[in-house]
Amino acid sequence: MDLGNQQRIKDLCDQYGNEDLIVVLGGAEAEASGLAAETVATGDPTFAGPLAGVPLGLKAYHMFELKDEVDPAVYDEQVGMMEMVLDVDAIKAEVETYRAQ
Amino acid sequence: MSMLEGKKVAILGDRDGIPGPAIEECVKSAGADVVFSTTECFV
Amino acid sequence: MSYPVLKGAAYALIQGNDLALYQGSTAAGERYTNPDSEFLKELPAHWRSFEAAVAYPPNQAYIGNIHPRALREIPRPWYENGLPDAKTEGKYGTIASEDILYGLMKAVDTFDLVLLDETFLAPLKEKIAALPGLSQWKCLEKLDKNPADLAAITEQVEQQHAEPLYFAQQLIGCVKRAHEYDAALTAHVLTENLVAKASASFALQQLLNKCELKAEQVDYIIECSEEACGDMNQRGGGNFAKSIGEICGCINASGSDTRSFCAGPAHALVEAAALVQSGIYENVVVLAGGASAKLGLNSRDHVKKGLPMLEDMLGAFAIHISVDDGVSPLIRTDVVGRHKIGSGASPQAVMQAIVAAPLDAAGLKIADIDMFSAEMQNPEITEPAGAGDVPTANFKMIGALGVMRGEFERSQLPSVVERIGMPGFAPTQGHIPSGVPFLGHCREMMLAGEIHRAMIIGKGSLFLGRLTNLFDGISFVVEANPGKKAAAESLDGLTKTRVGLVVLGSEHPVCELVHGAEQAAAADPRLDVVLIGCGDSGMLHGVEAADADAALKKMDEMLASGELDAAVAMHYAFPLGVSTVGRVVTPAFGRKLYIANTTGTSATERTAALVRNAISGIACAKASGHPQPTVGLLNLDGARQAERILRQLAENGYEIHFAESSRADGGAVMRGNDLLRGVPDVMVTDSLTGNVLIKLFSAYSSGGSYEALGDGYGPGVGEKYGKVINIISRASGAPVISGAIAFAAEAARGGLPKLAAAEFAAAKAAGLDALLDSLAAKPQGTAQETVAAPPEKVVDEEITGIEVFAIEDAVQLLWKNGVYAAAGMGCTGPVVMVAREDHQRALQLLKEGEYL
Repeated sequence: MDLGNQQRIKDLCDQYGNEDLIVVLGGAEAEASGLAAETVATGDPTFAGPLAGVPLGLKAYHMFELKDEVDPAVYDEQVGMMEMVLDVDAIKAEVETYRAQ
Repeated sequence: MSMLEGKKVAILGDRDGIPGPAIEECVKSAGADVVFSTTECFV
Repeated sequence: MSYPVLKGAAYALIQGNDLALYQGSTAAGERYTNPDSEFLKELPAHWRSFEAAVAYPPNQAYIGNIHPRALREIPRPWYENGLPDAKTEGKYGTIASEDILYGLMKAVDTFDLVLLDETFLAPLKEKIAALPGLSQWKCLEKLDKNPADLAAITEQVEQQHAEPLYFAQQLIGCVKRAHEYDAALTAHVLTENLVAKASASFALQQLLNKCELKAEQVDYIIECSEEACGDMNQRGGGNFAKSIGEICGCINASGSDTRSFCAGPAHALVEAAALVQSGIYENVVVLAGGASAKLGLNSRDHVKKGLPMLEDMLGAFAIHISVDDGVSPLIRTDVVGRHKIGSGASPQAVMQAIVAAPLDAAGLKIADIDMFSAEMQNPEITEPAGAGDVPTANFKMIGALGVMRGEFERSQLPSVVERIGMPGFAPTQGHIPSGVPFLGHCREMMLAGEIHRAMIIGKGSLFLGRLTNLFDGISFVVEANPGKKAAAESLDGLTKTRVGLVVLGSEHPVCELVHGAEQAAAADPRLDVVLIGCGDSGMLHGVEAADADAALKKMDEMLASGELDAAVAMHYAFPLGVSTVGRVVTPAFGRKLYIANTTGTSATERTAALVRNAISGIACAKASGHPQPTVGLLNLDGARQAERILRQLAENGYEIHFAESSRADGGAVMRGNDLLRGVPDVMVTDSLTGNVLIKLFSAYSSGGSYEALGDGYGPGVGEKYGKVINIISRASGAPVISGAIAFAAEAARGGLPKLAAAEFAAAKAAGLDALLDSLAAKPQGTAQETVAAPPEKVVDEEITGIEVFAIEDAVQLLWKNGVYAAAGMGCTGPVVMVAREDHQRALQLLKEGEYL
């Protein structure tokens, strides 16, 4: 996960707290999406950025997981095509694991 | 009611996945408050 | 008005291991935040040698030595499967090492900013001057100016804010800053700009070396990298383009720079096409050099996963756009897609704007585009970094768009992706992978008639510049050039190619044939299709006839009177000596394959017929725009003997290009696999087998009653045959009929009767008649007497290439000469087996006896 973005997420978490703030991901594949979810939950596992060793405890969802939470017409228009392109099941399964922890 | 309703949302989009602005449209439709939106690029 | 053409394309790759470690943004960022990091220490251990970078299959695809689709056959990881005998020099470009780049940077440096250690530079000078075309660079004299030593360089780096240059981790030079505090002229910025200038100049020189263009013919240059040059008062003032043209001696050129992140090159090509089409300039070059900042971009992930640092290549290219030459592929300036400011950022909005909208406006479908080239990043680089397989994602998006538009079923997505796409093969250099790497291959495929249309797509992430959240994308269509004559005809609106279609006699209703005819007419505005046997359709003119026979008679009359240039019929009584060359789409890679022959009798003797079929097939492929078709002989009775005669013709000067079987043992005799893969351009068979093959390839998907694929049984070809009449069957459906009409039009435009006469004349000049006559008196008679076998030996050597009917005679011949031999069946046909010690002598005897 981009180091600048790690700092932004850290600042936002300080401001809003980890109950009210949700991170929504748009990653192209499972591993990278999982890595981002892990970084905002338990800290940067690569120990490269500001979230190294900083467990914010934030919940992260991939956009695919929020399909039933948003307006179906908007989802179809914005995301529908990518359901045919990306490996939806693998991404969902991977990101979900880091919320369960 | 959507679980996103009234929540603050930080968006980490991906140029080759779902870009930030597309996610923004979606979560706004569920009543979320977008506090940060970015799109990462690996290429 | 005519379209501009894609006249030439050239490419260059330059390795930059040390650049990645010191100038690459990932490593530089790490050094800034964490100078002692393990990653920085470990990175050089992941460097590839120059030889490994040259042998890397995607790099060989980039410079044109292999087709990108050949990567499908090479197992991943590609870095473990380097190509043996890979060369630095390719069909469209070259690969150079990092030391060369430093020399080039010094050569193109007008302001004496680059210092190189004299001991490093001295041996380089000769190496650089020896590179093709570079001895013409006047600026090479710079290499002799401002000699520096290590002490001076160290002082510059440590005291004067110079950017260090390393080679094999040794300090060998530096780039000085050009101003004390101007942020646009720091040593780092100047290094990036000099890398871009040097590598782009090198690519332009490749274009001048490999294509017809001369430096002084260039009218305008558009540079489209992602760098900015200027000073603090105009940070992106430009003009890279002229500075690069100056290096290569383009004294008559002006130029300017175009920017749009990774989409820049596609924008620049549309602009170049417009400048040529408007008549403002005749020869425009679009070019870009490499980005040192992007070297090692994802190296953190590559190191973590134990991969080599695959992002060690600077990419560069130069594309020549010029006026219609009647040959080079056209840039369809009327089929240009653009992401509009109001288009939206969702992936489907982007694809809608850049793919669907321009096709809709031109009345085309996704299926009308044979190949797409979007972002051609090498997936081996991006996948470990979490960005997935970018080109495949693009092809899937295009396929998904087709699904959403109702063009395909969702279940067809994988086959659509396979048909329109290719593996990514370009380095992750931002603007470099975006559409343009395919242009060299695209041009060649179109010249060979392998594809008709391709869409080139550039996409860019404008939000990285922090001025807008907008996305960007632009596309254009490249199309095979129909030829000068045809183009002139359609433009004047005078004579179109007129093709008649007999609509009576099919097992399908007449409307099915009319539908096929309308499809053909709609696809080609230079085509006039006349229906014979029914009245006018909504779109086409019809000529009534009482029944099928009357319709055929009418067709003959219209051909004789010149009312028609060609015709398509379900049946026609060709004279002896004329047989048809069909064309199918082979299932493995969607390649078009000419099957020679499919109906009719080219000769009564089997082997002579195969030889004549090969010549007819060559003529037919040439008429359809393959200047040098490859020929393979299907492994049938007589194929070996026909091959022997064809090789003899070739030896006597008849031009023939043999295909090489895709099976491990190679050879021009083709196996079933080669049929499925479409290995040769022309597959030679007897006409009964050819007929069965056409039916199989055309109807395997429909259960047999409906021929849905391919272009039918093809035109009748003969030594002295003057008409173009293409055959379809009573089961041919609309798509095949449409293909057959287009095929007939191609044959007529290509002058098939004349070409066939010329081919046969050339074969005769190489001794065709005598060789065919010798078949009648073949060695069967020589071995009539029975010969006793010599003492039996262990036979462990196989001799292939002898016809099955002559195999026993061949054995007898060897026995007669005291060589023990046995006949057998090898995996590709009959063999004569002999002992190892007799092998050479047996070969000799069989050759003398004309069995081989």
